[in-house]
Amino acid sequence: MKTRDPKPAEPERDVREGPTIRVMATQTLDESEQIEPAAAGEHGSLDFAADEVVFDLQSLSCFYGSFRAVRDISLRVPKNQVTAIIGPSGCGKSTLLRSFNRMNDLVDSARIEGRILYHGVDLYADGVDPVEVRRRIGMVFQKPNPFPKSIYDNVAFGPRVAGYKGNMDELVERSLKRAAIWDEVHDKLREPGTALSGGQQQRLCIARAIAVEPDVILMDEPCSALDPIATLKIEELMRELKQNYTIVIVTHNMQQAARASDFTAFLTMGEDRAGYLVEMAPTQDLFTRPAHRLTEDYITGRFG
Amino acid sequence: MERAIDAPGSDTGTQGPAGPPGPRATFDRALDRVKDDVLRLGARVEQALERAGRALVQRDPDLADKVRWEDAEVNELQRQINTEITALIATQGPVARDVRELLALYHAAAELERMGDYAVNIAKLAQQLASEPETPILKQIPRMEQICREQLRDAMRALVDISESDARGVAQRDDEIDHLYNSVYEDAIQLMTVAPERARQATHMLFAAHHLERLGDRVTNIGEDVVFLATGQVEDLNP
Repeated sequence: MKTRDPKPAEPERDVREGPTIRVMATQTLDESEQIEPAAAGEHGSLDFAADEVVFDLQSLSCFYGSFRAVRDISLRVPKNQVTAIIGPSGCGKSTLLRSFNRMNDLVDSARIEGRILYHGVDLYADGVDPVEVRRRIGMVFQKPNPFPKSIYDNVAFGPRVAGYKGNMDELVERSLKRAAIWDEVHDKLREPGTALSGGQQQRLCIARAIAVEPDVILMDEPCSALDPIATLKIEELMRELKQNYTIVIVTHNMQQAARASDFTAFLTMGEDRAGYLVEMAPTQDLFTRPAHRLTEDYITGRFG
Repeated sequence: MERAIDAPGSDTGTQGPAGPPGPRATFDRALDRVKDDVLRLGARVEQALERAGRALVQRDPDLADKVRWEDAEVNELQRQINTEITALIATQGPVARDVRELLALYHAAAELERMGDYAVNIAKLAQQLASEPETPILKQIPRMEQICREQLRDAMRALVDISESDARGVAQRDDEIDHLYNSVYEDAIQLMTVAPERARQATHMLFAAHHLERLGDRVTNIGEDVVFLATGQVEDLNP
């Protein structure tokens, strides 16, 4: 990935204002215009070096029609770390996560205000190809959802669609190994993915996400349908995967956030039912001495 | 033991105005019980210290004996607190202030148990002194014992109120104890010099003062526990 130009960028433009400098659809994300990050002070005490920041959210609000689901969130997601998003039901955690790879585009009434910079590029700028965004930023869902195909084809599907020219067997093996499921499936690659156990299916879905060589893996409650042992395996896997990927996970399970993440962002809901960020901190700090009373009340179970 | 007496009905007494129980009502009740036990432990140690000091001044080997025997109950109460806290950590997944509170109480209980041992040591010295020819007890020693008890009471109150400023106040009095200890040291040396036949008594008194000085440090450690509980910061209050 191209590093951000250290020189001051061109005067900032609001991409929604008009097509003065259109980013052409033929350009890849790498070639798109780089935008200066916001001042560090806007993100509380977490001040990551610019090249360590994968996502830079600047006053992000998400709407479904006239309903504001997420209000004015500014935070940064650091590279090669596991960042957990926690908060009560309905506080906009999943909406926020889905805005990271433009999954909300698939909902007609959804729109955002503010900006999400991905390695300095405005993800929602005109001309940025959402399909390319979703290849770079993969997603694993709450319920394991393997395709009704063989284990092999589940993993090979994405690379095939993307026109992968290399050795497919090697790519499938590497992806399954990285997802820590190779040992369990290497002798039954032609069997249907749906025949695996829930925990295995979820790791297969992670292998499928990895196969297209993404940069980020978003996980939306990836363990809520799994038993405790399968859950711990996924958590261990996250620790492994962060060597190569940046991981953002939404979870209802606070102990999971405490166990598996490096940073935790706590969201809650305002009077208007819009979710907002209360604090983001190193996980260890947030769970031993949270800075805000709202966080304290939520994580100690004394919320409302 | 005493748990059986205060168990019925006490669960609802600490929850303030009646209303639907909060989502952590069970945990809060258990935490209150542990807190009560630590307070009871503190009261026992304070009593042991007072008796040990009195046994020393009044040359009362029977009272000293009582201190030595009753230390077993202090130890038992500390073990019980450890078991309760371990179970709460294992089953309730405490975080933030909850986990800090449990750890602070766990450590405070350990310090109190050790203070009980110092009281026993002083009681033993009282018995030995009682068997020697009578020598006036250096006046700083009862004063040290009194300050230690006041410090201990203040520390326990700071723990209950989670008061950072009270905890710091406890630590400040430690200087007073250190000063008195140095003064006992000088007087004991002096006594040994002018009356070598009283060297044993002088040494016993020096040791008693030393135990009190150590005890004061343990109280300061409880003050540090309270600061940790209140702020989440680990701080040396007696550098």
